[in-house]
Amino acid sequence: MQALRTAATGMAAQQLNVEVISNNIANMNTVGFKRQRAEFQDLLYQTLVTPGAQSSDQGTVVPTGVQIGAGVKAGSTYRITTQGSMTRTDNNLDLAIDGRGFFQVTMPSGETAYTRAGNLALNDQGQLATEDGYLVEPAITIPAGVTAISISKSGQVQVSQAGQTAPQIVGQLELATFVNEAGLEAIGGNLLKESGSSGAATTGVPGTTGIGTLLQGYTEASNVDPVSEITALIVAQRAYEMNSKVISTADQMLSVTSQLKS
Amino acid sequence: MDNALFVGLSRQITLRRELDITANNLANVDTTGFKVESLMEKVDPAAPARTLDAPNPVKFVLGDGVARDYGQGALRRTNAPLDLAIEGQGFFAITTAEGERYTRDGRFRLDDAGKLVTQSGQAVHGDGGGDIVIDPQKGQVLIAQDGTISQGIERVGKIGVVRFDNLSVLEKSGDNLLKNTANAQPTPAPDVAVRQGMLESSNVKSVVEVTKLIEVSRAYESITRMMESEAELSRRSIERMGRVQ
Repeated sequence: MQALRTAATGMAAQQLNVEVISNNIANMNTVGFKRQRAEFQDLLYQTLVTPGAQSSDQGTVVPTGVQIGAGVKAGSTYRITTQGSMTRTDNNLDLAIDGRGFFQVTMPSGETAYTRAGNLALNDQGQLATEDGYLVEPAITIPAGVTAISISKSGQVQVSQAGQTAPQIVGQLELATFVNEAGLEAIGGNLLKESGSSGAATTGVPGTTGIGTLLQGYTEASNVDPVSEITALIVAQRAYEMNSKVISTADQMLSVTSQLKS
Repeated sequence: MDNALFVGLSRQITLRRELDITANNLANVDTTGFKVESLMEKVDPAAPARTLDAPNPVKFVLGDGVARDYGQGALRRTNAPLDLAIEGQGFFAITTAEGERYTRDGRFRLDDAGKLVTQSGQAVHGDGGGDIVIDPQKGQVLIAQDGTISQGIERVGKIGVVRFDNLSVLEKSGDNLLKNTANAQPTPAPDVAVRQGMLESSNVKSVVEVTKLIEVSRAYESITRMMESEAELSRRSIERMGRVQ
């Protein structure tokens, strides 16, 4: 019975949908998180009668044919890279990106990862790092004994030191952009990795064409919208239930058949 | 004398097929751009307009074809800039390795070269053929109702929306795509609106489908009961005839 397997694909798809939605809701308060969406496509069709097939030698054709679909499959999970709202933190090492771009982070393996989470900190050597201690590229070292750190919209890092009147430039932050941001591969810890579908990273100074600007003292909230996630959850649950109804109907029909010969 | 059993069998086969189609509709209740299908049945041979004195031939039920409802699905807002929905009768044209395909599923994205593609990476046709290439560096992508894509003040292309005079030439080929089975050439769709940041939901009405499930299972039960009593009848008559001898 095809219907049993078809409904099973529907239930599996909705299960994946709930998994993606629950991950979105779980990361509602994760800095720089971008919500994901499970995308579904219909599966193959078994064509019993081809539409347009000749139905007689007079040239008449079958108008619609008989095609029976085999259910649904998960196409992909798509990351929606819209801007999250800005949360004011007043921490002078919190940076939010307004517009496109990612901070570049050096992983312990030497690879470069990308993140929108700008809640940065200093490590024991005064280097700018993520909350996991991975260094930000290009490396910026804040000298000991600074009284104030200011980071401009264009990513210039300036420090004021006691006894000096003019602030001193210690580095310039750069952001990376991709042709297809949604194609980056998430590796956990708010980090993303370049993939075959994202295209190569282009780095540049914040504020130049096509690259966002930085906001000091803010973090970018996740772009998860709880209302739409809960609505999606309701839809997923109902769809799951309806597919289970198909299974029970198919089962009932099979049991009726098996009772036929008593 | 086994005719009743064969008539019952023909009904059971169509009911199972109907269940398969309903199962596929319900599995795709949340699939963007999906179009609901239903089985059309017919009596074979067709009933005469007037009953003649001569005995009527025994009639069977056959699955005649699948009707696909191309009605508009509800539009839902997603705010993703490359999500597009078509309002009105039309399709996006997609280039695949097997030739041109058509879809109402507007969940597009850019590939690593900036080409507008479907979620399976197949290129979306521009108006008048050719691919659409968007450079995200140039700024926000705006897509007008007629499909014109612009970034800032620069026009970067136009999404082609095509229509078919006869929708029954289309056949579903999976992955939300439709295949043109005839030589009918699609023409540009004149009166459609492309909505940016929206998607067309599946037009499966879950209430209708669940009702159909109930209907199918009840019909299956009653036809099976009919077959049971027919079998019972022949069993009894054999028994009785045996007793008479």
